[in-house]
Amino acid sequence: MSRRARHTRTQVLRHILLSCAAVLMLYPLLWMIMSSFKPDELIFSEPAALPTSLDLSSYFEGWTALRTSFTTFYMNSFIIAALAVIGNLMACSLTAYAFARLEFKGRKIWFALMLGTLMLPYHVTLVPQYVLFLKFGWVNTFLPLIVPKFLAVDAFFIFLMVQFFRGIPREIDEAAIMDGCGPWRIYWKIMLPLSTPVMATAAIFSFIWTYDDFLGPLIYLNDIDSYTVPLALRAFVDSSGGESLYGELFAMSTLSLVPVFIVFLAFQRLIIRGVALGALKR
Amino acid sequence: MPSTASGRLSRFWQKNGAGYMFLLPWLIGFLGLTLGPTLASFYLSFTDYDLLTSPRWSGLKNYEYAFLYDRRLGNAIEVTFTYVLWSVPLKLAVALGLAMVLDRSVRGVSFYRATFYLPSLLGASVAIAVLWRQLFGADGLVNQLLFMVTGIQGPAWVTHPDYALSTLIVLAIWQFGSPMIIFLAGLRQVPQDLYEAASMDGASGWRQFRKITLPLLAPVIFFNLVLQTIEAFKAFTQAYIVSGGTGGPVDSTLFYSLYLYEEAFANFRMGYASALAWLLLVIIAIFTAIAFGTSKYWVYYEDESR
Repeated sequence: MSRRARHTRTQVLRHILLSCAAVLMLYPLLWMIMSSFKPDELIFSEPAALPTSLDLSSYFEGWTALRTSFTTFYMNSFIIAALAVIGNLMACSLTAYAFARLEFKGRKIWFALMLGTLMLPYHVTLVPQYVLFLKFGWVNTFLPLIVPKFLAVDAFFIFLMVQFFRGIPREIDEAAIMDGCGPWRIYWKIMLPLSTPVMATAAIFSFIWTYDDFLGPLIYLNDIDSYTVPLALRAFVDSSGGESLYGELFAMSTLSLVPVFIVFLAFQRLIIRGVALGALKR
Repeated sequence: MPSTASGRLSRFWQKNGAGYMFLLPWLIGFLGLTLGPTLASFYLSFTDYDLLTSPRWSGLKNYEYAFLYDRRLGNAIEVTFTYVLWSVPLKLAVALGLAMVLDRSVRGVSFYRATFYLPSLLGASVAIAVLWRQLFGADGLVNQLLFMVTGIQGPAWVTHPDYALSTLIVLAIWQFGSPMIIFLAGLRQVPQDLYEAASMDGASGWRQFRKITLPLLAPVIFFNLVLQTIEAFKAFTQAYIVSGGTGGPVDSTLFYSLYLYEEAFANFRMGYASALAWLLLVIIAIFTAIAFGTSKYWVYYEDESR
């Protein structure tokens, strides 16, 4: 066989292998999406079949199947996620700017402590934080899920931003200092505008992680009117007892993935680059 | 009056004030929400605390109970270790395998890469855990396909004590996308002429993999290994949803985090839960230390002399 023919053959083999893997990976998702458009009795009788008609009744019935409608759950989720994104961007960039550019006593120690918090498993602070928020009367409000973000508790984003800020040439801020700019103006007018890639990455991942977060809402939100989408889905599983509401459950699960999927489609390059840098855990 | 306290303070402020202004939000968060709670958790781990009455000092009782008597904890540790030791190596193997296939085939790389990465991004959600529960249920997709192909009626995987944990391991492997992307970035750094030279010398594909790819990729493998191991130890949501919040059937999916959550927020044994948190910290630290300790035997960095 000529070299070229052999090359073509391995290429074809690779593509077959990759396509099989892709189908295997996506099939569970496709099954869920297809099932959400089928009447319940067909979901388990014909697993491979495409839905014969686009039956949206599961979506309508699922949306209002719990005591509170999913409108509220999505509102709650988006409010929390939006505030978390704002909090993380503001607080983490302020901190990162201090660590990357400002001179002050104790900077090295604080920076080392900040890196140390990256290693700390969330379990360690879980109980005392709960006790603290309970004493503040914040349980069953969104505050325990939002306020920590405004206090830059997600050290991971600080680390990401410090790395990026350090890459911005110092000559730029030195020139600004010569022109009489203080640290606030440099931060606001120079650093932030030059840092859109890292800010976007941080925004995307804070949105996804907050939107997907389950343990936080599970601990702090008890009232169904304050539930986020993941909590509502869990309540759905419990209330349906596993029987007869499959279509609605699949419909609501599918729908809950849509926001993350849209973010993925819109910012694919940025997300994949962020992961490739080894910067992001998921 | 340069020597008075207020004078010194104002000079300190002039030199360092801006830095601390910027640092202030983080400083409050660090002291109030991280350092303070960490110390508090350490203290609570030596107490009995049920939230209603104030903590009562109990010395080493929590740790004694954990080490000597708590059979559920022993089980939770076993379940978690089984999960970590199966899911992490398999996930990394799949990630590396597909990264190598992807690295060479030029066309459609970005499509495949995105497709393989998507489950990693979605996988942490409750929706996927809900899907998994149905997928591996008594008449879920897996059993339907199994029946169609082999005629065998499969068990209800998620509610069978022997199989429930393996469905969670499969779910972890399904999310191999992010280590795969990191491997892909690492493979780009391997000089292609090394492979060409090896082919000229007649080295087989397997030999090239062992002698070129693996050693040059060792730092990336190490990075993925540590990161994924720590993440696997912390796993919570998927086990919670798939088992319906119980860690069942018969505690077969009682992950460490799930047990800790139950002790703290279902049984209100806050002191004991704090002790569990510190034990987990120690377990993770030991694993990380082992990884770093052994790394000098198998991880070489390029700027290091061999």
